Amino acid sequence: MPELLEIEKLSAGYGPLRVLHEIDMTVRAGERLGLVGLNGHGKTTLIRALTHMSGWQQGSIKLDGKEIGGARSLGAGRRTPGLVRMGIGVAPQGDAIFPGLSVRKHLECGAFSKLAWRERKGRIDRIFDIFPPLRPLEHALVGKLSGGERRMVSIGRMLMTEARLYLIDEPSLGLAPKISHRVMEALWDLPVEGAMIIAEQNVALLTGRADRMIGMHAGRLRGDVGHVALN
Amino acid sequence: MSEKRFHKVGRRPYELRLTPDGSAERARGRLPGTKRHWLQWRDVHNPKTLRRERVLVDKKPLWWVIGLSFLVIITPFLPNSLISVVSIFCVYASINVLWTLIIGTAGIFSLATLAVVGASGYIAAAANVYLGVPWPFMLLIGPLAGLVFGAVLAAPSTRLDGLYYALLTMGVAEICRVFVMQLRPLTASGGAITNVDSFIPEDWFLQRPGLLLGFAGAFLLLLGALLVWRLVNSERLGMLLRVAKTSREDEAFAEAIGIDFRRARLLVFVISSAALGVVGAFYAMYFRSISPQIFSLDQLLLLFAMMVIGGLGRAEGAVIGAAVVTIIDKGLITLGPPRIILVALIMIGVTIFAREGLTGARDQFRDFRKRKAGERRAGRTDKGGEAMPEEATDVHDKQELYYRRFNKRLRDRLKELITPELIEEHKRDPLGHHSDALSRVLNYFRRGEMADKYVIHRMIPAEEKFRIMAVSGQRGMPPRVVDDREYTDIKDAYHAVFLLRVNDLLES
Amino acid sequence: MDLGLIIYALNLSAIYALMAIGISILWSSVGIINMAHGATFAVSGYAAWLVTGVMKPVIADILGNGGLATFAMAGTLVGSALVAGALCGVVIYLLAFLPIHDKPNFQVRALIVTLGLNIAAVQGLLWTFGPRNQGLPKIFGFGRWEVWGTKIRYDQAGTIIGAAIIMTLTLAWLRYSRRGLEVRAMMQNAEGAAYSGISRQVTALPVLMLTGALAGMAAALLSQTIFVSPTAGVIPLVKGLTIALLGGLGSVPGAMIGALLVGFLEAIVGAIPFLGQRYVMFATFLFIIAVLIIRPRGIGGLLDDTRE
Repeated sequence: MPELLEIEKLSAGYGPLRVLHEIDMTVRAGERLGLVGLNGHGKTTLIRALTHMSGWQQGSIKLDGKEIGGARSLGAGRRTPGLVRMGIGVAPQGDAIFPGLSVRKHLECGAFSKLAWRERKGRIDRIFDIFPPLRPLEHALVGKLSGGERRMVSIGRMLMTEARLYLIDEPSLGLAPKISHRVMEALWDLPVEGAMIIAEQNVALLTGRADRMIGMHAGRLRGDVGHVALN
Repeated sequence: MSEKRFHKVGRRPYELRLTPDGSAERARGRLPGTKRHWLQWRDVHNPKTLRRERVLVDKKPLWWVIGLSFLVIITPFLPNSLISVVSIFCVYASINVLWTLIIGTAGIFSLATLAVVGASGYIAAAANVYLGVPWPFMLLIGPLAGLVFGAVLAAPSTRLDGLYYALLTMGVAEICRVFVMQLRPLTASGGAITNVDSFIPEDWFLQRPGLLLGFAGAFLLLLGALLVWRLVNSERLGMLLRVAKTSREDEAFAEAIGIDFRRARLLVFVISSAALGVVGAFYAMYFRSISPQIFSLDQLLLLFAMMVIGGLGRAEGAVIGAAVVTIIDKGLITLGPPRIILVALIMIGVTIFAREGLTGARDQFRDFRKRKAGERRAGRTDKGGEAMPEEATDVHDKQELYYRRFNKRLRDRLKELITPELIEEHKRDPLGHHSDALSRVLNYFRRGEMADKYVIHRMIPAEEKFRIMAVSGQRGMPPRVVDDREYTDIKDAYHAVFLLRVNDLLES
Repeated sequence: MDLGLIIYALNLSAIYALMAIGISILWSSVGIINMAHGATFAVSGYAAWLVTGVMKPVIADILGNGGLATFAMAGTLVGSALVAGALCGVVIYLLAFLPIHDKPNFQVRALIVTLGLNIAAVQGLLWTFGPRNQGLPKIFGFGRWEVWGTKIRYDQAGTIIGAAIIMTLTLAWLRYSRRGLEVRAMMQNAEGAAYSGISRQVTALPVLMLTGALAGMAAALLSQTIFVSPTAGVIPLVKGLTIALLGGLGSVPGAMIGALLVGFLEAIVGAIPFLGQRYVMFATFLFIIAVLIIRPRGIGGLLDDTRE
């Protein structure tokens, strides 16, 4: 299978703090990768560095063979919109929702490509099929939703335009176990053409479902934890 | 034989460094009545000359003394018009310094500074003109009025956010202006109070002695403002507020550790308002009149431009900005309206390029250089390098870094030399004549550190039985046994040690 | 309260709302408190004056003096004001946004840069054109309508209708177009917007041009009532800023309600005999200060009941 994402010697951090220490990693197309590790060991920073949201970073990131990394010590978030348009879908930690927009408008925000914008009605319907609890809330303001519903909206926004690489940061954070299971089930059922990286603290939610799991410890990758053979 | 000459070494050979006698006890003068020292000296050890040196850590006091004494020395030789420019500069600078206290130290974005100056100036002037209070008392009435006005103004600042409060204070200035313009006794003079008594005798007014006296007063005012700044910003109040300076989280943190930052802010605000009241009274006396012009937005913007150009939140910025703008505004008065455009353009340029005004440029440049150096260093050290870039700044002895780098290169070269033939050669003859490559490798092994160095132990009783141990490298700690293999031939033991070390080398 | 007073109040509100909405949108989406909004106002007024001065004989030559000529004149005036306002927006984008938008203290620095731009532009106008007032051609003509016994001047009615049309267009654009959605998204969560492929640099330019054009429109409409002068922008700027704050910075409906409140307040205070025009500013500030002390987040704080 072709390699979708190649990371070489990626370091990143915030100010004087170095969080990631020269990470090497590859992700193949169609893979669902679980990224596990305790709080503060760099999962979120890795995901942020992939979209140039970390404070500074250096090292090579190749998406489909195209270099999107590089050294940078300022300008967090400057290249993020461009990277998202290149095909990285992100459901960030803490959801980054727009509290004053309705669920429908919020999902429309995710339809940034011309094609997606034209087909937005059908796509929103598809999202509602994936997350049925959202359908009755179509016109409610996102700022009034509960944490689980927000997470669904955030993931739904990510799915509005096809991406080659989906990055999902802590889908179960702050959710009740039952709801987080539901969100995870929905994630596993997604028809994903590209690869998916799920950062998660709770290993139990990933075991048996992710194609591959990688542990993170103190800013370094700790080999494959529980490898599941690909077919 | 001539005496040995030492050349100055280090990054800054021009820097003034005292070389005190190492055996003498250190005597430091203190500010009378306090525990503070006059200047911040620090004793350092120079690793090259191995001597004790004394460095002035904070050179700002020197610059202040030089700048202010230059002002005092040069002014008496200036023409009349320039003397008044210098005096106005002193007044503006002192207003700015006190304003800096409000915006920088207290972090309250108030635009009512000139309103406080104006209001207290008006009250003091009115007391003098209409109630016949002699002028020295104006310097008491002014701060009292400022205190009350400041207390009233400060009250809503705890409730409103930065921009909202700025607007409110702007509104207060406007209300003051309208109020003064509407006062019936003042309508004849367009809202101005004239014929205010002054510390400058009436027949000296606008004469050279009067101007010099005015300058002396303005200079003392500036010194007073700087003293207030020093006492508030660098003493307890300022220290408390520094905790809650930058963000909401800091405020929460300050609250959590028991700092009542709101009270401290209000206190700073009220203190500087009282000081601004003194400036107001002085202003009325210096010009012998006070007009509603002082409440106008233009005047406020000019003062704001001064602070921005110099650097918001720094006393030296307030003074330098006042100097720049006063020179352009009052010194180049022949230029006409374009001089204001010039001020505005300088303001835009400084804001776009400098993070914190002219006085912050030095720090900004240093940060930039540090960042660039860090990036370059990060680019140089590759994976497995002997010092991570962020460690490199921590290692004090830079020679250590170069030594590690040299060692790494050496090891890389030696690794290439190690071949099966080389090992075969050593096995054949561990002690005897070696080829060049083998001697190099063995030489490197000999130089190795004592810790974890392998030794051969001849087992008791004196039989031909050997085993390999590793030295702990610490005094009193016995060597540990590496493995339980025993050798009957010393040559085999030699070779086993060699193999172990080769293994270590290849793994490093 | 008679109808004349209401019309006058609506007239004031319309101009204020145009200014305040521009400031509010700009603050919440791009993060600039635009102190150069007043300069944009004055520059567009002067641009309209210059262009109509040049075009007047041309239009008179081609179209004569009929209704069509007045219509063409109106088009030139409004068009030139809009274009000049949008160009001012581009200048602000180039100076106050692009060089510093990802540097520390962006908001304070942008405020200072726009303040400097404002000072420079006003002084530049003073220097070039002198402090004299300039009258613009009356595009709505002179005259009054009689409605229920009250006379409504054409320019007042024109201002209210023109402002209402422009504001409706702006709000519709914000509500229904993709670009408008992007602006609204950016207003609410910059990080989320970045993850939705919305670029700040790309979106800021149309927003600045739009708000500039709104100020230009306000200038074109106000020029029907008062003259154009270099310092004409100061009062609209201060009013726009205070109303935007009253509305709770960033809330468009808040700004509109605030504009209506202040417009009516000023009309009423101006009409009360013993207070009169002199106390209008005074009363406005007192009112806004009172509101802000009671509701620190302004009217927008009342309307907004979502949580972060």
